[in-house]
Amino acid sequence: MSEALETGTPSFMDRFPQEASVVRASLISSFISLFLGAVFGLIQALHRTDVFRFLDSQYYYTVLTAHGVLLVVSFTIFFLVGLFTWATVRSLDRPLVDIRYTWAWYGLMVIGTLMAVVAILGGFFPSTDISADVLFTFYAPMQAHPLFYGGLAIFIIGTWLAGADYFRAWYAWKQDNPDERIPLQAFMVLTTMLMWYIATIGVAIAVVVFLLPWSLGLLDSVNPLLTRTLFWFWGHPVVYFWLMPAYLLWYTVLPSISGGRLFSDPLARVVFVLFLLLSTPVGIHHQYVDPGIAEGFKMIAMTNTMFLLLPSLLTAFTVVASMEHGARQRGGTGLFGWLRALPWRNPAFTGMALAGLMFAAGGFSGMVNAGMNINYLIHNTIWVPGHFHLTVGTAVALTFMAATYWLWPQITNKPIFSRPIALAQVVLWFVGMALMSNAMHVMGLFGVPRRTAEPQYQGFDFVASFGSITELRMQLALGGTLLFISTVLFVSNIALSTGTPRMSGLGKQLSEPLSPAADSPKVLDNLTLWFGIAMVLVVLAYILPLASIITDSGIVDPGVEAVPMLIDAATGLGPIGAVSDAAGRLVAAVVGVVP
Amino acid sequence: MGEEQVVREIGHDEYDPKGTLALIAVYFVILLVMWVFMYFVEFLGNELTVV
Repeated sequence: MSEALETGTPSFMDRFPQEASVVRASLISSFISLFLGAVFGLIQALHRTDVFRFLDSQYYYTVLTAHGVLLVVSFTIFFLVGLFTWATVRSLDRPLVDIRYTWAWYGLMVIGTLMAVVAILGGFFPSTDISADVLFTFYAPMQAHPLFYGGLAIFIIGTWLAGADYFRAWYAWKQDNPDERIPLQAFMVLTTMLMWYIATIGVAIAVVVFLLPWSLGLLDSVNPLLTRTLFWFWGHPVVYFWLMPAYLLWYTVLPSISGGRLFSDPLARVVFVLFLLLSTPVGIHHQYVDPGIAEGFKMIAMTNTMFLLLPSLLTAFTVVASMEHGARQRGGTGLFGWLRALPWRNPAFTGMALAGLMFAAGGFSGMVNAGMNINYLIHNTIWVPGHFHLTVGTAVALTFMAATYWLWPQITNKPIFSRPIALAQVVLWFVGMALMSNAMHVMGLFGVPRRTAEPQYQGFDFVASFGSITELRMQLALGGTLLFISTVLFVSNIALSTGTPRMSGLGKQLSEPLSPAADSPKVLDNLTLWFGIAMVLVVLAYILPLASIITDSGIVDPGVEAVPMLIDAATGLGPIGAVSDAAGRLVAAVVGVVP
Repeated sequence: MGEEQVVREIGHDEYDPKGTLALIAVYFVILLVMWVFMYFVEFLGNELTVV
């Protein structure tokens, strides 16, 4: 690519072709997951609103599990490792230590994903013994095929090794630059991976010690509350694992695209340190209605959660201030008039800005979720999916898609097939999500449950204070359809971009922060210190609740029987069939007795 | 691409993000109004729940 060096800014691919291949492969894996997940999302949106039901409702949980796992595990995390590989190599300005090792962790992640996906899709084929209709949250006593847990474990090992790859690169860089501050992007990658190492302790124990041996038949039973608590030990920080790559893009790429500079490098570092410290000791806020955990422990989790608002509000300030700096450099004036000077025709900018706007709305519904008392109003209602479709479903997903329009040319040396389609795509996502998420939030307030194939009951109607439930259902279905169209536009635009002619000089420079790292104390870069404090906080938040769960009901609870999520459609004798038959008879009996 | 259209350089000391402050103030007002609204809809609008 020597000619590229002569004609314009060299791209990432020109400078690090081997690493660019890994980034491309990770992004492609991510987008395949996105497309499949979106298909299942559409089926679900049309099914539960009763607009179009072509699958029997007994398959709803197969669809729901596939949607959840493909999107929040595969799509997000494959994108993360691709982006982090790019960010590490770019910011340290040196290749990874051993590219064969890099391909090895990528391979493990692919194998893990395939195993889990085979187990989930097995649910569509009752003749096989394979199924994993346990949803993304895989609570015991619902039991999946060992392939599901095994795949998950291998996938997570892959991510651990990816993290080690970034630390190796940083260590090698440090030998050559002993007195320099860690470059900002590398700092973000490393703190996020440290958070991930702490967070995955929970899920690793849940899966490897309990759920996998249990599904293999080596353990007779598990303690559902214990595995559930271990799940949420990981289940909350994982949302920041999805979010941190988006933050990395908002802090380091968005200011440049806006035409400005990051307002403050030190503030960005503080935010990532706060996420490392506070992401994990909050998981119990997902268990506010779980019996078996004392209210006091839930109160501590709530307090920690409210502290977590701080780094997000710091981010809102820093990122918006960086955008405003860009707008004013582009000639914008006035208290609000500068907003017009932003590059709204650039899909990468518009997508990320709209994603940030939706995140602000998600912040409000998140505060409702986090409050122990008001959480009861919306717990297990469709409000909750409404919330996380704003956060992971838009703040994260839309940022990833928008950033791809910026990053893709630099890792392929090929321009995006169509920028107008890209712009329409990000706007369509915003509109679709505004409709779908609004409908979900409002329906949640009226008590419509989540995770339900047919939320309609004989003799009972949900009552809307304004509008009607039917109207809200249509809004949800329409929003879901627009989101699916947007996904198709995105995936096909990227697929067609592989056919555009190769060009040179597609590299982009990132601007320097207004306030550089040198303005902050060196202790911010002391990763050992922050990791240590984070571990102490986790121990403080979890040791007593876990001890009390184990004292109350044991490491394993012999009274709990597994519910294999197998559907035996042929004979109707599967556990699900039996349970729903029994429930049906019970309801009939009650209805018969009660006048 | 939009990022090349910078018409003037603004340095650290001459930049005052007052537009950001205004936007964040608007966000806080929205949050406040929604909290008050929620109090009326969810607490005063529902009967007491006794479990």
